[in-house]
Amino acid sequence: MSSKVAIGSDIGQARRAVEQLRMEAGINRVKVSRAATDLLQFCTEQAKSDPFLVGIPAATNPFKEKKPCAIL
Amino acid sequence: MCDQTFLVNVFGSCDKCFKQRALRTVFKKSQQLSYCSVCAEIMATDGLHENETLASLKSEAESLKGKLEEERAKLHDVELHQVAERVEALGQFVMKTRRTLKGHGNKVLCMDWCKDKRRIVSSSQDGKVIVWDSFTTNKEHAVTMPCTWVMACAYAPSGCAIACGGLDNKCSVYPLTFDKNENMAAKKKSVAMHTNYLSACSFTNSDMQILTASGDGTCALWDVESGQLLQSFHGHGADVLCLDLAPSETGNTFVSGGCDKKAMVWDMRSGQCVQAFETHESDINSVRYYPSGDAFASGSDDATCRLYDLRADREVAIYSKESIIFGASSVDFSLSGRLLFAGYNDYTINVWDVLKGSRVSILFGHENRVSTLRVSPDGTAFCSGSWDHTLRVWA
Repeated sequence: MSSKVAIGSDIGQARRAVEQLRMEAGINRVKVSRAATDLLQFCTEQAKSDPFLVGIPAATNPFKEKKPCAIL
Repeated sequence: MCDQTFLVNVFGSCDKCFKQRALRTVFKKSQQLSYCSVCAEIMATDGLHENETLASLKSEAESLKGKLEEERAKLHDVELHQVAERVEALGQFVMKTRRTLKGHGNKVLCMDWCKDKRRIVSSSQDGKVIVWDSFTTNKEHAVTMPCTWVMACAYAPSGCAIACGGLDNKCSVYPLTFDKNENMAAKKKSVAMHTNYLSACSFTNSDMQILTASGDGTCALWDVESGQLLQSFHGHGADVLCLDLAPSETGNTFVSGGCDKKAMVWDMRSGQCVQAFETHESDINSVRYYPSGDAFASGSDDATCRLYDLRADREVAIYSKESIIFGASSVDFSLSGRLLFAGYNDYTINVWDVLKGSRVSILFGHENRVSTLRVSPDGTAFCSGSWDHTLRVWA
């Protein structure tokens, strides 16, 4: 009985794997050139607001040291 | 498979035939049921055509895998770095440690930023979870967990609670209170229960739901208030080590990575795996969505980080160097997605140009493995945690 059950569950597993693969094979895909261009476009659009790329002045960055003020 | 790893001898009434038998857990369309062994076998062979045997199913699976590879290869007309040639190269970066957070007694395993861009929660092997103010480096809250190796921690979107877990196999939520008289541990709420260690957790868009990943090979979505399991995600063949939620408000997907070298993208409502990627050569330690939500990066013990595009359904870039031989433990993107920060087991942090595939900078400072790394919500800094017991904020 136990070996029958083991085979039963193997078939169940195999069926699920086949169904999953069928589903994955059927999804819509775009060409890498198109996907890459979109990634590039997103990057360039967002680059202006990326503090690491644009660099924000030390005064507004809470982590950077502020220049010392001199009392005249 | 993980759903057969735990053979608990439970006797009870079978969900199908209602007879009193020894029960096994089976999954029918992602719903967990308890069947006796006879009904389990019947269910497995239900609807099988005459000629469907184990062998024929396995060969069909192989041919489908081959077809999948063919379909993916057809669309591979160009490499990302070739398309990126027309983009300007990045200048020099000066990134230094601006704050060092000391206070953990042992390895720092995980950290997360609060949405206020200032507070950080971190968890450690010594069982402590600490909430820091990263501007002043003061500790605001500290909780001692009943277990060691607190491998996961997360800040709630409201900033009013934290979630953490590890070897206790649970994910617990602690509301944060500023009342000195209140003991934080007293208000603890156990939300998630897994059958193995908790490796990652994350709140969804609200404080009400938590997504967890576990060493038992599954991910799960829980309701915080009731502790009820809302959805479980089965498919990984080994421990799940990391997860990340898709960035958009309407997005209902998340990606997970595991010891089976696979990165899987899941639909949160149906529990189905919608895409799977298996190009890494070792455990995937960290996954993070690209800010647009159309791609994700992964860091692995095979010493590489890779970028997978979800619409092209394939890997589009590898970030590696011959001189890098230690695994990447943690990855995160800068706000625009142009930079990928990756912490490695050789104590360094490498900064990669995502589009061109080249390394921009290498940061030294930690005295042991970098175990966790997150960019702050406004992108002005990133924080790294390490086995050297400290966290560093870089800007």
